[in-house]
Amino acid sequence: MRKLVPLRICLVCGIVMLIQFFIPHNYSQTFFQYALDWLIVCGVFAVVIGLDSNFRLHLTRIIRRKKGWGYSLITMVAVLSVAFIGIKFGIGADSLFMKIYRNVEVPMDATMFSLLGFFMASASFRAFKAKNKEATVLLIIAVLMMLGRIPIGYFMWDKLPNLVEWIMMYPNMAAQRGILLGVGLGAAAMQLKILLGIERGWLGGAGD
Amino acid sequence: MLLFYILTQISTTPLNIIPPSELTAYDNPNDDGKKINIEWTLSPDDSLLDGYEIWRSEIKDSGYYKIGYIGRQKAHYQDAMQVKEGVTYYYEIRCRDRNYNYSEFSVPSEPVVSSSQWYDKNKTNVLFGLFLFSFIILGAIFQAKKGKTLFIRKINGLDALDEAVGRATEMGRPVLYVPGLGGVGDIATIAAINILSQVAKKTAEYNTPILVPNCDPIVMSVVQEVVKEAYLEKGRPEGYNTEHIFYLVGSQFPYAAGVGGIMVREKPATNLFMGYFAAEALILAETGNISGAIQIAGTDAVSQLPFFITACDYTIMGEELYAASAYLSRNPTLVSGIKGQDYNKLVLLFFLILGSILGLMGNNFIVNLFHS
Amino acid sequence: MSHDIWVWVAAFLTLSILSFLYKDNPFYKFAEYLLIGVALGYGIAVTWHSTIIPKIVIPLKEGHQYHLIIPMCIGLLFWARLFPKYAWLSRWPIAFQIGAGVGIGLPLILQADVFKQIQGTILTSAILNNPFNAFSAIVAFVGVVSTLIYFYFSLEHKGVVGGIAKIGIWYIMIAFGAIFGYTVMARMSLLIGRFQFLLHDWLGLMR
Repeated sequence: MRKLVPLRICLVCGIVMLIQFFIPHNYSQTFFQYALDWLIVCGVFAVVIGLDSNFRLHLTRIIRRKKGWGYSLITMVAVLSVAFIGIKFGIGADSLFMKIYRNVEVPMDATMFSLLGFFMASASFRAFKAKNKEATVLLIIAVLMMLGRIPIGYFMWDKLPNLVEWIMMYPNMAAQRGILLGVGLGAAAMQLKILLGIERGWLGGAGD
Repeated sequence: MLLFYILTQISTTPLNIIPPSELTAYDNPNDDGKKINIEWTLSPDDSLLDGYEIWRSEIKDSGYYKIGYIGRQKAHYQDAMQVKEGVTYYYEIRCRDRNYNYSEFSVPSEPVVSSSQWYDKNKTNVLFGLFLFSFIILGAIFQAKKGKTLFIRKINGLDALDEAVGRATEMGRPVLYVPGLGGVGDIATIAAINILSQVAKKTAEYNTPILVPNCDPIVMSVVQEVVKEAYLEKGRPEGYNTEHIFYLVGSQFPYAAGVGGIMVREKPATNLFMGYFAAEALILAETGNISGAIQIAGTDAVSQLPFFITACDYTIMGEELYAASAYLSRNPTLVSGIKGQDYNKLVLLFFLILGSILGLMGNNFIVNLFHS
Repeated sequence: MSHDIWVWVAAFLTLSILSFLYKDNPFYKFAEYLLIGVALGYGIAVTWHSTIIPKIVIPLKEGHQYHLIIPMCIGLLFWARLFPKYAWLSRWPIAFQIGAGVGIGLPLILQADVFKQIQGTILTSAILNNPFNAFSAIVAFVGVVSTLIYFYFSLEHKGVVGGIAKIGIWYIMIAFGAIFGYTVMARMSLLIGRFQFLLHDWLGLMR
């Protein structure tokens, strides 16, 4: 019963939305919009579960004075104050909330993203060791790609940019298509199995 | 003032050009009743024009207003501007040249009423494909129930999971499992959860801690259930620690920062990255590399696979991730699902080869069959 | 040098995150925990203003769209997780989300990931007008077929199948090399952007 009802809900919802795909009628499109709104409204309540887990983690550390409890205090203060400021005073372009977002979160997000510049260099250095033939091919093509998109590549060989473009358009695209086809078939098969209740991993434990 | 007078005189000078003819308007098929197609025969003086203005009214002889413009040499326009279902419309067209001179209006079209359809015929091939696909998958699953043993080829990354968890046990350090950025509706995330179930059974058996920071609260709920069930199944309910499976944050780079911090402080011996990843994939993999952990990654995000390949010890690519639950559990029903996928691949290969042979001979029947 | 306190805050946090490249340290830890806290707070406030108010409160209060009570009741079942005895009820909204997602996604995946890819791969007579086009199209065709064979799970990679799968893995490595090389410049430009902020916006050393 505790597994049967969710499986039936999954089946009914899935079949309804599947049928909707083939019906272009106005009523069907309106229903689709309502369904999307329902999914969004339903999903909002899950945020509380996430916050409960997060707050328990940090509050436990603070109360028990575990290692790093000071940092957990920073997180708790930040969450509560930013949420309060945003909800109470609004999130308009000139609000304090957006100032905090633009000058605290955005620079840190951008810096985390920019760490990729350094990590790419270290990953490339590791790839240079070329343990096997396949890694060598990956390395050679990567170097060709980089050279082909900068002036020195053209200077070294004027046909290099054309070769790079050809590689992007044909062998690269072919492999990506092959992978996408496999992924598409695999994902569709998995979705079908979920719909029909054959794949039940998402149900979690028995809990019965 | 003189210049303005001259300009107005130029703009109102009628074009001595024959307007387009045989104007027909009809309801766009297979839609929600919000589009009408208009076609016409080009003006014989089309080469002198800049384009055509399309006008619409609900009354045949008056009340026309401009709804669109299209360049010359084009004899088709689709009206999607607030078309109402069930309302009668009439259309007229006139020519325009580069100096904004206009021809006379064409003869108005016959009345047209837009309507919505209950079935999109353009998607018949998808419907047929869906039935064929499902039939093959279910047929394969049905075969499994007859007790046939089925083979799946070796997938290195999945074989290495045992070794990876064993390493963490030997070193007395935890396993870090990162289920990616995806939500519970993401197939990659569901595949990751299936793999986690198997990994959690091993960590329960070896009494090794497993840390699972989550980016989505619903995924966290499911993961908690899955890991708890794994520990119960192995008779180690006391080993399950709910504090080890938590919601970290819902955004990409804060999540990467948090997981990076866990890696350098908790120093897991094994890092498993399974699910959907975006740009943060390399940050996670390189940070894990610095901490010296053995790393296995699996994702269907093609753009991140190269980075996982360079930074991780084993990488499970694309479809191999979806095959994981069948591969690890060896459940006959699940393995036969993989067989079904393979049969579908053979069908696609057949269409590819046949379609190409016919296509090279000038017959595009198979190409058109896959048109969407 | 900037006189805006917010620029100094952004610069300090930028340098704190960059310090991670050296090693884990209190500045990075501070920035990391602050980032998580601010991101969570941001998510809460944005959810409030962009979802709860316009999609729940206003439609109920002013639009009289009482049907929204149904998904609200389904969503509330998520909270059953907070009570272990009733935690199993949280499977219902999960089933709703997964079922709808699967129903929407299944035909779309077939259409976009299967049909469109097959349509683009099939060789047609259009390639025959130019030998180089014909060669390129055949290269692509062989790539797609061999990559598909690589992901064929029912046969061991031996003999003919093994040979074709080997070609497939070469194609895959070419694609991965292309993706790797293509992305490097984009990542480097992000790094340049952060240094520009530090040197120009904060320190005023660049013009």
